[in-house]
Amino acid sequence: MKKLLVLLLTLVMAGMLLTACGRDDAEDVAVNELTVWSWDPAFNMFAMEVAAEIFERSNPGFVLNNVEMPWETIDMQLTTIGISGEHHLLPDIMLIQDQAIEISVLTFPQLFADITNSGINFNEFASGKTDFSVVNGRNFAVPFDNGVTITAFRTDILAQAGLTIGDFTNVTWNQFIDLGRQVLDTTGMPLLSTYGVGASFMDVMVKSAGTSLFDANGQPNFVNNPAFREAVDRFIEMVDAGVMLLPGDWSDYIGTLAAHDVAGTLAGCWILGTIQEVGPAGVWAVTNIPRLNIPGGTNYSSWGGSSWVITSNANFDLAVAFMNYTFAGSTELYDRILPAAGALSTWGPAAASTVYLEPQPFFGGQTVFADIIRFSQNIPDFMGGIHHYTAMDQIDIALGNIINLGMSIEDALREAEAAVRFEMGL
Amino acid sequence: MYVFLSIAAALSLFPLIWAVISATNANTDILRGTMLPGTHLIQNFNRLTELTDLGRAFWNSARNATMATFISIVICSLAGYGFEIYHSKAKDRLMSVLLLSMMIPFAAVMIPLFQLTANLSLLNTTLGFMLPTLSTAFLIMLFRQNTRTFPQEMIEAARIDGLNEISIFLRMYVPTMKSTYAAAITITFMGTWNVFLWPRIIMISPESITMPILISNLMAGYVADFGVIMLAVTIATLPTIVLFSFLQRYFAEGMTGTIK
Repeated sequence: MKKLLVLLLTLVMAGMLLTACGRDDAEDVAVNELTVWSWDPAFNMFAMEVAAEIFERSNPGFVLNNVEMPWETIDMQLTTIGISGEHHLLPDIMLIQDQAIEISVLTFPQLFADITNSGINFNEFASGKTDFSVVNGRNFAVPFDNGVTITAFRTDILAQAGLTIGDFTNVTWNQFIDLGRQVLDTTGMPLLSTYGVGASFMDVMVKSAGTSLFDANGQPNFVNNPAFREAVDRFIEMVDAGVMLLPGDWSDYIGTLAAHDVAGTLAGCWILGTIQEVGPAGVWAVTNIPRLNIPGGTNYSSWGGSSWVITSNANFDLAVAFMNYTFAGSTELYDRILPAAGALSTWGPAAASTVYLEPQPFFGGQTVFADIIRFSQNIPDFMGGIHHYTAMDQIDIALGNIINLGMSIEDALREAEAAVRFEMGL
Repeated sequence: MYVFLSIAAALSLFPLIWAVISATNANTDILRGTMLPGTHLIQNFNRLTELTDLGRAFWNSARNATMATFISIVICSLAGYGFEIYHSKAKDRLMSVLLLSMMIPFAAVMIPLFQLTANLSLLNTTLGFMLPTLSTAFLIMLFRQNTRTFPQEMIEAARIDGLNEISIFLRMYVPTMKSTYAAAITITFMGTWNVFLWPRIIMISPESITMPILISNLMAGYVADFGVIMLAVTIATLPTIVLFSFLQRYFAEGMTGTIK
């Protein structure tokens, strides 16, 4: 009996070993197939499925291999494949966070295809979006979602303070904070929340004035940057006044919306999906963001979204044809992915679609998508910077030091700028 | 003392209990901070199976972890036994070098290992998955340390009785050291079941997805459904809990080097 058991176990292990040694991926890739890496089945992966369905109609037999991979993993794969030189492991197309395009292209130029002269008309996309993907005058990505920043409020809570969404439209941050105090005094509720410590929020405020955290030479510019200083002052004022809540992470932030702990939020327009999930329906409204009280300040900015890059391992002609026909050429695609996934475009022709003009019952009948497209067309041009994430980390530390440790704003910003310089090797 | 231990136990168990409770609740209830069991378990399960290839991920994890555990236990126990029983100064020096390898973080060897795995065409395979875990300095050290408690007289008696070296290992050493094996199995299985970074890099194909990758994918979207995520976490925790409850009797003995 014991020997039989041992024999059985050995056979099972041998069987497992044989199946395990076989490669799971197909060696022979079909000519009419594209492999794509992206990360959200309900959002960008869904959009890719719809695009494939549309493309297949004019290109029978087309196959999409839609692989789910979180952004953190894609980022890690870029580094691993870039350093190891195993470029054949890249997919044809991958989704990449806007803020990461420039540094990825500059660090691993051999991983990406230059699509400047591919025939894709980049002029039809909002320049605030393509700014992210143009590196040294060359274009490396097809824009996907719209990262335009919006302010969304529950009008029923604003009404308790005698306010409407119109009171928050085209205002300065100073006016916004005064209105926030009014809401807090009347309802006891903070006006808004954001996730993390606030570096992304700060970045959005700075971009709204068409400026950057870096100067024209790419050097960090925190201490002598009027836009940044104004942004920090207003941000700290909001936190000190209790107008702004700072939950620790993304889930706590969503929790403040779900638990109705705040009157609204300020974020990229991708937050609309979450808002529609947490409800309640019919009372939410959307408007533009406050502006910095400095020359060049506007009420429009971008939180950053994502874009599609074609890799150096791609079936280039097929990948370009696919992109040109769908994300850079199909109003049907955007008409379908907007209501189903809330994916807003930065592609100009999509804005004329009737789907975008439809009033949204969830938002009290507001033509919210048309409004957001209008906001996106007013985002000032801004300069990115390959050390964006380094700056974000240090600004988070600086804000933490100011808010939690009582450090002076001047000292905190000086320390943050010095730390970024050190990390940049300056 | 008991009060302190009870508080420590409650703190340790809280995340698991929270995960199990959350697995039965709707996403909005979780975000509102509910701590009571809900009625959404079936809906969460249906959503989980609709969103992911749960069966494949579970099978892949089970296959990879079982095989990696089995093979690494065979290799490391033989190595530990060899280092101690066939003792020499050269082997001691080699053991010191092996122990030094424990000080090198995985991130430092990740890229060359990835290159090696890719060149051997082992991406997306269990063999590629197992490669870094087949022989670990920690397991070799565990077996070597515990072999010190194995009576040398038994080996000499067995040799006089005519057993060859392999038979001594299989018939005398393995049954005597079952506590050490139980501890090694528990540690290795838990490690390989939960490993994330390495398979995340080399298991590129969706067909080779494992449970930790499945959970990570669920958290990658802009709108995360925490009920579904916590159900996946609960399911992923079950095999290690079951294994540990079967082997816990031997685990403490194995870690401390006790033999029976």
